Amino acid sequence: MKKLLAVCTMLCCFLVSSVAYAGDLIVIITPSHDNPFFKSEAVGAEAKAKELGYETLSLVHDDDANKQNELFDTAIARGAKAIILDNAGADASIAPIQRAKEAGIPSFLIDREINKNGIAVAQIVSNNYQGAKLGGEEFVKLMGEKGNYVELVGKESDTNAGIRSQGYHDVIDQYPDLKMVARQSANWSQTEAYEKMESIIQANPDIKGVICGNDTMAMGAMAALKAAGKGDVIVVGFDGSNDVRDSILAGDIKATVLQPAYRIAQMAVEQADTFLKKGSTGLPEKQLMDCVLINSKNAKRLETFALK
Amino acid sequence: MNLDTVSGPAETISTNKLKFGMLLLKLRTFIALFLVIAYFSIMAPNFLSMANMVILVKHVSIYAFLAIGMTFVIITGGIDLSVGSIVGLAGMVAGGLLYNGLHIPFLGVTVYFHLPMVILITLAVGVLCGAFSGLLITRFNVAPFIATLGMLYIARGTALLLSDGKTFPNLVGKEELGNTGFPWLGSGTILGIPVSICILIILGIAAAYIAGKTPLGRHIYSVGGNERAALLSGVRVNRVKMFVYMFSGFCSAIAGLIIASQLVASHPATGEMFELTAIAAAVLGGTSLAGGRGTIGGTIIGAFVIGVLGDGMVMMGVSAFWQMVIKGIVIVAAVVVDQFQRNLQSRAVLQES
Repeated sequence: MKKLLAVCTMLCCFLVSSVAYAGDLIVIITPSHDNPFFKSEAVGAEAKAKELGYETLSLVHDDDANKQNELFDTAIARGAKAIILDNAGADASIAPIQRAKEAGIPSFLIDREINKNGIAVAQIVSNNYQGAKLGGEEFVKLMGEKGNYVELVGKESDTNAGIRSQGYHDVIDQYPDLKMVARQSANWSQTEAYEKMESIIQANPDIKGVICGNDTMAMGAMAALKAAGKGDVIVVGFDGSNDVRDSILAGDIKATVLQPAYRIAQMAVEQADTFLKKGSTGLPEKQLMDCVLINSKNAKRLETFALK
Repeated sequence: MNLDTVSGPAETISTNKLKFGMLLLKLRTFIALFLVIAYFSIMAPNFLSMANMVILVKHVSIYAFLAIGMTFVIITGGIDLSVGSIVGLAGMVAGGLLYNGLHIPFLGVTVYFHLPMVILITLAVGVLCGAFSGLLITRFNVAPFIATLGMLYIARGTALLLSDGKTFPNLVGKEELGNTGFPWLGSGTILGIPVSICILIILGIAAAYIAGKTPLGRHIYSVGGNERAALLSGVRVNRVKMFVYMFSGFCSAIAGLIIASQLVASHPATGEMFELTAIAAAVLGGTSLAGGRGTIGGTIIGAFVIGVLGDGMVMMGVSAFWQMVIKGIVIVAAVVVDQFQRNLQSRAVLQES
């Protein structure tokens, strides 16, 4: 036991070499950092908060609403001044945000909305519909306005999956020569996109393009197409990850749509700062940020969800 | 089981030393808990505040419920992998009954139950899940690992089916349907103590009483110690096994209710990986996976060690990836120390004889 404790203590000391107590605390809660998108949010918010003179605590909820609930307790117990949150569920996040509000801690939501207005100070999300239309337009152009294509959609229960698909179709369906031969959900997953794409290729050998609801699915689809010797099929994604940037630069995936995660996180911190100083952000609660098209022309400037 | 009672008259200084060492080892989880709390009190601001302690116990109580049920199962030499999924299912059953009611197709009506009824049905679902695992294990001779692994998938799948993967939101109930009051379980208090902590105290005492003072408790230990011997001496092994799995299901359902109530919403993916935390808490508290050994008190302290470690590291802002590494080290180290203690114990027995 002594040994065990010594190991623990040493590890903890090593990890937390400096815990600053001074300054007001901003707690940043995001999904797991193993996805670079969320990592970028956390890094963006942290950098801005430090710049504005706040102490930060960056926590992850792993998309587990119960864990998020516990993290809110921690934020309240630590006496945080504001919470920046990419939430773990549109309904399941309402109760903890409400509790924080009652404890006098304002929440600033990024990336995903919740199903209730008036409890968070701000909900800043990227304009998925506008972004999807951008992606759809680029896709049509790349396809030359005709040919068979496949759509891979995200998790059906997720609002963003539906909105993006809607945006794509509102553009693509205006061109009668563009024919959708398959539409499958790959649940945002790279592995699943790979497997689904393999089967789709078997059933439809003559596809010319694949439009995907996010970048990880685009990566999976691209891998399956290359394995089947169809590396010239046009693939378009959504998110603007570094993986897809490299793929675009290598000439595989043709385009993606950047969600400015880094910038959104920074905006949330800026608004938190204004709110804490003036008592109001002076902006509406719901704010939409426009997305940016990424293709071979500007891919070089893309770095962790921000255009340099 | 208790070696202190078999000490002979010929005690030497070395055995005294050995005994002191053994006492330290026996209290190891408690000492570990104390040191961890002391450490975080210094390192994490506000850690030792009353408000944070209450929050901490609330967090621990969820895992403690599961771990208490798990302890009985492990003492009989079994394992229950389905507890996390039952947590999710219980939340969805309660949420569905409150939000959608129970639709009876051939009558064409939708029944909304009062809150106590909803809670009873949910608990019954948990017990039924446990009974199903128990039945597979006792009547069909399926290994507990496999039977409860099956239950893990069945319960999780059912939870997802109930809402088609969606979340049941805003479970406050409706005045005109008479099913309000659900959030009280998660955020209410009795005499100033949060409800979940009260339930933990009651459940903990009841379980400890069953384990220590009742024939059923003795039977649970005897089944795990030597199943064949227990059977031959007249213990109804199958009944005992049925009981432990049903009890574990019951405990999981309580945890599911409390989580859904705290969030005022139920999400079908709730409780993923909870089974492993529950097993870890039981093992940290000195329960042997080989069966026959373990206490409820130890398990609760084990749950506290895990909870304090988790909350403390979160408050200090330790990276989530490091948190996992540290938790893993603590669990493995606990079992290593456990083995060490057993060796020491057998040496002590040899010296005394």
